Amino acid sequence: MNNREVFSVLGIFDSAQSLMRAIPEVKSGAAAKLEAYTPYPVHGLDEALGLRKSPIAGMVLVMAVIGSIAALGLEFWTSGVDYPQVTAGKPYFSWEAFVPIMFELTVLFAAFTAGLGMLLLLNRLPFFRHPMLAARSMPLITRDKFALAVEAGGKTIDVEEISALLRDSGAASVEVVESPPVHGLASPRFFFRVLIAIAIACCVAGYATYWAMKLFPKAIPMVHMLDQPRLGPQQGNTFFTDGSGMRMPVEGTVSRISIPYTVDEQEDPSAMGNPLPRTAPVLGRGRQLFNDYCSVCHGILGNGETTLTAAYEAKPTNLLSKNIAALTDGSMYHVIMKGKNSMPSYSADLSQDERWAVLHYVRVLQRALDAKDEDVSSAQKE
Amino acid sequence: MKPEAVLEKLKPAPVITGHVRLGDLDDQLLTPVGEKPPLAWFIAFAMTSTATLIGMALIGYTIATGIGVWGNNIPVAWAFDIINFVFWVGIGHAGTLISAILLLFRARWRNGVSRFAEAMTIFAVICATLFPLIHVGRPWLAFWLGPYPNQRGIWPNFRSPLLWDVFAVNTYFLVSLLFWYIGLIPDIASMRDRAANKIRKFVYSALSLGWRGASRHWRHYEKAYLIIAGLATGLVLSVHSVVSFDFAVSLVPGWHMTIFPPYFVAGAIFAGFAMVVMAMVVVRRTMRLEHLITDYHLEVMNKVILACSCLMGYAYLLEGFTAWYSMNDYIHHTFLQYIFGTYWWAGWLTITCNILIPQLLWFKWFRTKYFGMIFVSLSVTVGMWFERFVIIVSSLHEDFLPSSWHIYMPTYVDYGILLGSFGLFFTLVLLFARVLPVIATTEMKMVLPGSQPHREGGSHE
Amino acid sequence: MTGRERRAGMILVLGCIVGLAGIALTFFVSGMQRFWINWIIWFLFLLTAGLGCLFIVALEHVVGARWSTPLRRIPERLSGLTILMVPVALVALFSLPVLYPWARPEVLRDPMVAGKAVWLNIPFFSLRVVACLVLWALSYWIFVSRSIRQDRHGDPGYTVRVRRFAPLFMAIFGITLTVVAFDWISSLDPLWYSDIFGVYLFAGTFLAGLAVTTLAVLYLRKRGRLQEIKPDHLYNLGGFLFAFIVFWSYIGFAQYLLMWYANIPEEVLWYKERLSGGWGVVLLAMALLHFLVPFFILMARNAKSDPRFLSGAAALVLFSHLLDLYWMIYPALKEKSFFGWQELSFAVLFVSAALLWIRRSMKRGEDMPVGDPMLREGLGFRL
Repeated sequence: MNNREVFSVLGIFDSAQSLMRAIPEVKSGAAAKLEAYTPYPVHGLDEALGLRKSPIAGMVLVMAVIGSIAALGLEFWTSGVDYPQVTAGKPYFSWEAFVPIMFELTVLFAAFTAGLGMLLLLNRLPFFRHPMLAARSMPLITRDKFALAVEAGGKTIDVEEISALLRDSGAASVEVVESPPVHGLASPRFFFRVLIAIAIACCVAGYATYWAMKLFPKAIPMVHMLDQPRLGPQQGNTFFTDGSGMRMPVEGTVSRISIPYTVDEQEDPSAMGNPLPRTAPVLGRGRQLFNDYCSVCHGILGNGETTLTAAYEAKPTNLLSKNIAALTDGSMYHVIMKGKNSMPSYSADLSQDERWAVLHYVRVLQRALDAKDEDVSSAQKE
Repeated sequence: MKPEAVLEKLKPAPVITGHVRLGDLDDQLLTPVGEKPPLAWFIAFAMTSTATLIGMALIGYTIATGIGVWGNNIPVAWAFDIINFVFWVGIGHAGTLISAILLLFRARWRNGVSRFAEAMTIFAVICATLFPLIHVGRPWLAFWLGPYPNQRGIWPNFRSPLLWDVFAVNTYFLVSLLFWYIGLIPDIASMRDRAANKIRKFVYSALSLGWRGASRHWRHYEKAYLIIAGLATGLVLSVHSVVSFDFAVSLVPGWHMTIFPPYFVAGAIFAGFAMVVMAMVVVRRTMRLEHLITDYHLEVMNKVILACSCLMGYAYLLEGFTAWYSMNDYIHHTFLQYIFGTYWWAGWLTITCNILIPQLLWFKWFRTKYFGMIFVSLSVTVGMWFERFVIIVSSLHEDFLPSSWHIYMPTYVDYGILLGSFGLFFTLVLLFARVLPVIATTEMKMVLPGSQPHREGGSHE
Repeated sequence: MTGRERRAGMILVLGCIVGLAGIALTFFVSGMQRFWINWIIWFLFLLTAGLGCLFIVALEHVVGARWSTPLRRIPERLSGLTILMVPVALVALFSLPVLYPWARPEVLRDPMVAGKAVWLNIPFFSLRVVACLVLWALSYWIFVSRSIRQDRHGDPGYTVRVRRFAPLFMAIFGITLTVVAFDWISSLDPLWYSDIFGVYLFAGTFLAGLAVTTLAVLYLRKRGRLQEIKPDHLYNLGGFLFAFIVFWSYIGFAQYLLMWYANIPEEVLWYKERLSGGWGVVLLAMALLHFLVPFFILMARNAKSDPRFLSGAAALVLFSHLLDLYWMIYPALKEKSFFGWQELSFAVLFVSAALLWIRRSMKRGEDMPVGDPMLREGLGFRL
């Protein structure tokens, strides 16, 4: 014998019956772990070998319950809490409609627990380095022979004695299965290399995925309806005599949203009064618009001081100054409409109501410099 | 009749004829896998793969151009795509029924046909999933159907039967695949040990996961296999029921029928068995497996077809009766135009092929002779396809609003993709027959006479 | 033992007398509607139990099962309940003008109901009832009386002949049971329709048959008879019970889901009535007793062959089948109260009468079909 360790001694039997008959004898004769290898499940073998009942049913039950709860939870949370949408007039939490998917996920969880739990967890497969796979009798076992193995389990066993025992109990032949030498695959160095390889693979895969996701949607035909047979704005076209693809509106066309502003030519703008009431919503809207459009130059407080001030030769107007405060609403409205000095017209950016709302806010800013006691409501005073 | 003759008649038919030993099964079933296929196989493969290519080319054309190349148009928004989807999902059901339900009922004849039927399930579901995928028009966005957190901040509609379908069909596919693979592992291990060349040995070795037939493995294996069979039984009921919900939860007359779920399941098993019978006839003839897939197997499967046909008849009867009984003008109209409307021929074809012709199976000649059973099976396959045509197209084409009525005509692309799905299915079947055993060898070993010790009162004495 | 049996018989006869007095009082005190609705519920309950047993017998012959042969005599004897129901059904015809709206001329003015008058009218209804009764009695005679005769002569020819008849019976059974479902239950609300309803009643019927068979087998085993029935046979009974609990729930849920989703008034009002006014609690109880509890009891492999678990599950299923019929039929009265001494006296009468009938039928023939050529093989059945 060479210095390899004996893994087990196999007795090969011709039929399931002779295997079953041999088990009690071998069990009493050898105080080692027994294992049987058969081409198909032989009924009664578990009891003869004294194996415990398979725990798979319990595992499946637990995972099935988890599956159904997970499904219900997902459906409840997405349809009822995170993204509540009315469909078909049904309530957000309509359990009736959730049952089909609950059932499917229960089955999915349960079946995968049964299948993969059996293979990976209980049977510890895939495992290609088992000494039995290298045994000479393996092709016979997967075909039509039955083997009873007396396993050494790390200890030294008396091969001769066990062989004789197996032969006496009816084995047609006996094979000694040796443990293979520790393979390079099991060394820490190899393990380390595998870890590095996995890390590199992750990086490559991540980078590749990034580019794929970036470029893939642009590939034909995945252009998401961007590629359409129509003219873009400003694109030329020979169909019309002027060579332009765009058409001018018909003479006399009136826009549906703009209101003609004729104050400048006909009447004094300062006579216009602010038509909007001075309410909290209007002031809030005015503040937001002021901050968006006006504060860039005039400053958040309206005092004309912003970081941009230094960039301009002409200092933006301080809206809080005495002479500005003395202007009427109408005059200030006219400035927004027509612009003044370097200030351009904001007639295109702000609608009529928005301009008046901004003016209300500007008045509030002016008043804030010189606030009176009656400006604060009685409730706030207390 | 003499009592002795009667007793002889009552004896259970053998599921394996002739004397078969354990090792013979490996020799007969696992070795052809490595051999060069006969010429007939190549001819068949050439035909089916051509059909597949035609289908794939037309699918490519559809995706590149848009589904306007099909005949679908409002109000017939669902047509060949959904017909084919329902048809193929249905074909798959026979496999699950044979492998799972009959395992639980311990039908002895199951083991001979289960592996092939399971494979057909998987291929049929592959064909089926193709259709909704291309019907969405932009299949590369199909992942939107999945519930995953996204920057759009939206979730799929869990109250929609179409989403139930996504879950049901995917679960069905995954569980069927798992079940099939687990059943295959011991067979693959046997093939690994018999593989002649190195590449085969490596592939089968990897696929067998190092299976070594240890009793400590078998005890978990058998239990897990039974559990998955039990779960798959629930799937048989649920998957086609969910498919039927696509129709039945709506308000379309002819679709909203409470009998739809069990009726769809029965129809699915019906069509699936017809397909299995046709395939089994070819397999046992060409691969010389008459002793393992016996006349008894075929006869029993034909009896199942007959039983399903009667169930379908019951469902048609009930549908017709309730349609009248509902006293709803719209339902009356829909049912009348099923058999007297534009597509009257489809309605009558369905009734003839599904109800009338299968009644021939009451005669033993049709149950046992190849010509008879193939005739019936073909008619069932045609009939079940047209049944879905009637349900989908006939119900839709005359809408509530007569001004939108529209006569649906499929285009060559529709026909080509249907042909392609058949091609894909049979291509996969042909490949399967060459790389994996067509009969569950390990399960056959279990039922061979004398294979189990302590078998009391068994039928083999 | 004979003394005990006599005592039990006395109690049952007493139960019949008390029950009769109770239902007579119901008729005169609480009104005809209450009387007839209970009559129909109990008629259908015992009828479905008997028909379910007949179906089990036929199923064995159709599929050529061998494991169930030793058990077959029990459902054969129990299916005699169908015969007991013949007079009950004929009496129940008097309930038509009282309970069924379509039999009242003022309801017929509704065009939706008037259209159905071709089907829903008293002469045709009675004709269907009589035809069903004749067909069942005939099937009972073919299956049961001749099977009992086979005990003596042991002619296997009977087995062959009955196997030829069994598929025909399946067709008869399917159609007659659907007629029962549509006529006796569904037409209580003549606007309502559901084409799955026959299948739903079938699921309940088969479960009821299985449950009484299981209970009878377990009872006889406890009394020292049927000792050759092994746990393996019980396991199959338990398996069938388990499978059809799921089937019943599936059909029941499918019908509910489709009607709930579509929300069409003709359909959904039926459920509305059966979910409001306390009936929702009954439905919830049914979901528990008819599905969840027996489902979890029978889920474990060992429970299916354990007499304690099996009898518990079977009793639950039988009770909840009664509850199911009660839930479907009683709300048609549209009354607030739904349980009182009236219901109790009906229960006492019908249970005592049925038990008396079953006691008598349990003496028919041998405990097992000893003349059946498949008996030996069936006895040897192991999982």
